[in-house]
Amino acid sequence: MKKKLFLKVWIILMVLTIVSAFVSESNMLYASIIVILLSVIKFLGVAFYFMDLKKAHVFWKSSVLIFVILFSVISIILI
Amino acid sequence: MENQSINHKNLYYPPGGILLWIVIFLELFTFGIALIAMIMYSKDEPEVFHNSRLLLNSTFGAINTLFLLTSGFFMAKSVENFKMNNMSKTSLYLKLTMVGGVLFLILKSVEYYGKLGAGLTMGYNTFFSFYWMLTLFHVIHVIVGLVILISIYFGIKKEKISTKLEDIEASAAFWHMCDLIWLLLFPVIYLLF
Repeated sequence: MKKKLFLKVWIILMVLTIVSAFVSESNMLYASIIVILLSVIKFLGVAFYFMDLKKAHVFWKSSVLIFVILFSVISIILI
Repeated sequence: MENQSINHKNLYYPPGGILLWIVIFLELFTFGIALIAMIMYSKDEPEVFHNSRLLLNSTFGAINTLFLLTSGFFMAKSVENFKMNNMSKTSLYLKLTMVGGVLFLILKSVEYYGKLGAGLTMGYNTFFSFYWMLTLFHVIHVIVGLVILISIYFGIKKEKISTKLEDIEASAAFWHMCDLIWLLLFPVIYLLF
């Protein structure tokens, strides 16, 4: 099960990276916001699955979530 | 041999250890604040930042992201196999992890060589000051991560393995931290402005 889970997460991360590169090159409305949000999803994918944070104490999970939400909200406000 | 595991639900034992997670948060906040500062500076010089960003090769940045994410995937597989006491696969995935890191460094060197050749050095403008400081600082982390992985690799290659699960989980957490930092750097430096 877990073997396939890592593979699925990796495929999703690859696809999201390619999508974010295309979105940034497009003239799409809110492209910057989409790019930031896609990188937040990738960040959480690596932290929770590859780093096994989903098995950690709620303190560590919420700390990572708070950091990434803070970073993305501040970035989006400032863009 | 029995499968190895640590109770990560305990507050003091996150995957990789509490000390490493303190380091990870310090690094994330340092890079995060620097990136937010970069976005703030771009408001003062929007044209400089836009034109400078166009001088970067975002394809290089995207390929490097793919290298690091793939390397992270192999690292996760390596830890998984270590827990199952499958040392041959642990070693194989660890080697693949390091290959990903080396490929990242090679492509980054090619990119740096091009930038230096074009005179786009740290003092060129504000954008490139941030570009060099942030990416070089990240490259140093990748190099340190590779050194840690090499030491783990030789540790598990010994006949009498002294490497513990805590050791390999800590090295994996450091390596994944390089991924996390890059996932913040890549969109802001290569895609936003």
